Amino acid sequence: MKKINTFGLITFFVLLLVNLPFLVIIPSSFTAAGYLAFPPEGFSFQWYTMILDRPEFVESLWTSLKLATVTAVLATVLGTLAAFALSKYKFRGSGVINALMLSPLTVPSLIIGISALLFFTRIGIAGTFTGLLLAHILISIPYVVRLVLTGLSTFDYTLEKAGYMLGAHPLRVFWDITLPLLRPAIVSGMIFSFLTSFDNVTVSLFLVAPDTTTLPLAIFTYMQETLDPLVASISAVVILLSLVFIVLLEKVYGLERLFGLNSQSH
Amino acid sequence: MNKRLSITLLTAPAMIVLLGVFILPMLLMLMLSFQDENQAFTLQNYTLFVQDSFYVEILWRTIRVSLWTVLATLLLGFPVAMYMAQATGKMRGIVTMLILAPHLISVVIRNFGWVVVLGEKGWINEMLMKLGLIEQPLRLLYNELGVVIGLTDSFIAYMVLAIATSLYAIDPSLSKAASILGASRIRTFFTVTLPLCLPGIIAGTTLVFSLSMSAFVTPALMGGTSVKVMPVIAYEQIMATLNWPLGAALAFLLLGSTILLVTLYTKLIETKRYKEVFAS
Amino acid sequence: MEVTKVIDVELRGIMKKFQNNVVVQDFNLQVEQGEFISFLGPSGCGKTTTLNMIAGFLDPDGGDLLIKGQRMNGVPPYKRELGMVFQTYSLFPHMTVAENIAYGLKLRKIGKQEMQDRVKRVLELVKLPNVADRYPKQLSGGQRQRIAIARALVIEPSLLLLDEPLSNLDAKLREELRDELKRLHQEIGVTTIFVTHDQEEALALSDRIVVLNHGFVEQIGTPLEIYNQPASEFVHTFIGKTNRMEGEVIAIDGDTLTLRTTGGLLVQATGQQRAFALQQKVVIFVRPEKIKLSDAADTAQPNRVKGHLQLASFLGSYTECEVATGAHTLSVKVQMSDKSAEQEAGKTVYCQWNAEDVLVMPVERG
Repeated sequence: MKKINTFGLITFFVLLLVNLPFLVIIPSSFTAAGYLAFPPEGFSFQWYTMILDRPEFVESLWTSLKLATVTAVLATVLGTLAAFALSKYKFRGSGVINALMLSPLTVPSLIIGISALLFFTRIGIAGTFTGLLLAHILISIPYVVRLVLTGLSTFDYTLEKAGYMLGAHPLRVFWDITLPLLRPAIVSGMIFSFLTSFDNVTVSLFLVAPDTTTLPLAIFTYMQETLDPLVASISAVVILLSLVFIVLLEKVYGLERLFGLNSQSH
Repeated sequence: MNKRLSITLLTAPAMIVLLGVFILPMLLMLMLSFQDENQAFTLQNYTLFVQDSFYVEILWRTIRVSLWTVLATLLLGFPVAMYMAQATGKMRGIVTMLILAPHLISVVIRNFGWVVVLGEKGWINEMLMKLGLIEQPLRLLYNELGVVIGLTDSFIAYMVLAIATSLYAIDPSLSKAASILGASRIRTFFTVTLPLCLPGIIAGTTLVFSLSMSAFVTPALMGGTSVKVMPVIAYEQIMATLNWPLGAALAFLLLGSTILLVTLYTKLIETKRYKEVFAS
Repeated sequence: MEVTKVIDVELRGIMKKFQNNVVVQDFNLQVEQGEFISFLGPSGCGKTTTLNMIAGFLDPDGGDLLIKGQRMNGVPPYKRELGMVFQTYSLFPHMTVAENIAYGLKLRKIGKQEMQDRVKRVLELVKLPNVADRYPKQLSGGQRQRIAIARALVIEPSLLLLDEPLSNLDAKLREELRDELKRLHQEIGVTTIFVTHDQEEALALSDRIVVLNHGFVEQIGTPLEIYNQPASEFVHTFIGKTNRMEGEVIAIDGDTLTLRTTGGLLVQATGQQRAFALQQKVVIFVRPEKIKLSDAADTAQPNRVKGHLQLASFLGSYTECEVATGAHTLSVKVQMSDKSAEQEAGKTVYCQWNAEDVLVMPVERG
């Protein structure tokens, strides 16, 4: 008989706890009743078809997807370029720039949101897609920089040297050797940026206009007034979408590595 | 290519975003927090805080909720980290996945799930009433307990991550060495494992505390109108009352008190001996 | 008949500094076509810096670098047409073995058929014909280094640079690959510069060795010259274990010097390269393998001293002994073939060595 592991039991309990919201939401979304209940009563897709009748959800989903995609691409390009400079060259002020690149992580989103609102009002881009996009790029850059820097810290620069010795021009070396080997770090930076933008509420809260709201924010607002199975069905859609990217992230990079947990076992 | 030119070209785009969307706005916000209605310099937005017990009470509530969250994440997270450190590769991977994946899904949705579970007609109350254990539904939501539950769910991953990282770094032969020397398992834990994962515990507790102090969504959704915390008050000043200078000042007061408390805490816990052992 | 020699690489007064630190100074060298030359020295001696200058990763701060008669200062590495093998193998992990080898050929726009042929041929050359489709990760360290050599050779470089290629391998493999390098060099005859900190590798492989120390060239010579006629105390001590005693010259009789060590031991030395004066302060060296141990004194041998065998470590083909002789503790290597290799600590022995095996050097002024 195996001894009952206390840590294992608590772990099981905690895992159940953190996943409980999803275990509850998804069944609730299929309820046939007109009110929110768990366990759900009956089975129907009615709350899913109902989403389509609510333009604010459909439009905000579209806005969120667009925002997250553009954020992911731009934050990845900007963050990757900066990480390259920081890793490859030793220069005065590189420490300052490095700290600056990661600094949005250390300041509460609340302050980032408020300060962006104040500033964007001054320059006239408050409540625009551009303003929202800039703020989302800002909060995504630190993740990209950190991931790519991590990738570069284990990158063997003699591989580049080997490329040069074989006659490859620096751009060719970058394209043939450096970039493919950093692809996992860069791609995961991109996916992580996408999720950061797609999930964000606190920063968006200060920057959206009524007609450009994002999906999490639309749910947030709706939830404060009404709690019905519609929230469950739209949440289920978001969960599914997020899961696609989470699985992708796990495949490309591995969540353990992403969060700095390097398992020695494999 | 010229080295300086390369550095400039590579870092400039990101630096422009950082300066334009982060540093400059922060300075503007700081300036604004020292302005009155006529845009003249004033300290009133900050002094108001000390004078009005309403704000002090709210700050104290914010701190209280954050401390409870730290305690809950530590008590629940530590065993998980221990389990992960002892688990084999595959099991460890599964646990990591299951603790981290929810973290990548919007907090609004997670909070919604909890509302369904904890509400007056929620799953827990229905179950307890069916079992006849209670007659009146328990109030698990729209109070401080609800906020602490929501925040614990939101931030436990950070605690687990921080402690697990420090546990992974401990040489497994150390506990073998301790038991060869005659230490029991419990004694080994308290004399070897726990002291050595102290950096992880400090990192986890300070991080969860800071995050809880500035959390906005969960208090708003799971605390309702009755549990107002600093971020919610600041938000109201900015978006509802449109008193931007006061809103900005409240946000900075929150940040300032968080930094102060975290500094005090680390000063207290990081003794001379701690610094010598963990100096990098 | 005098054959005109072709010079492949020439270093003329090469100098390199990092900030204000001079790391290579006044390096002059001519490497002949087909020669195998080693840069030998401890870490920080400037050998790798020099190699990086030849490869083009660093530019000299003074002097000229010529390859095949052409000045190469400022020419980027990818235009130099050289082959290089690195300590860490540096195979591209995302390419198969064949793709790794073909990479240089692809850059030179070699046709597909020829490319395949050449990859196949070079894989046979390094005796790994069946690994073309594998990834570097799936190969052992020794195999990886063979592939790295193949990748460097396939472009038929004018010069092959080897940057400590054996240092990451374990002892047995290192010896195996060392012999392989020797065979390859004999077969292809490509001009080779080999950087190493291991004197055995340098002695075994090289036509000539350049011994470097603190950025200075200490000596350039064949392995035998380096071993038998070291130009400096550094060269002698770096090339192998030795016994060092300080003393002075007390008598000179033609070719024979009589020396007295600070410990009062009288030593005779013959056949010295250098001239010495009476009472000159000198350093006296005897290699451990030149000293013989015996139970009885051989009175015909002037260099002999009685001692106490303190330590005997059996190391397979020989036994390393430490003999305390009063003023000096001598290190002695007893070969297995002497049948006396089985030594026991604690007994009294005589250490004896020939006068021609003694190396005398003037005291270097620090």
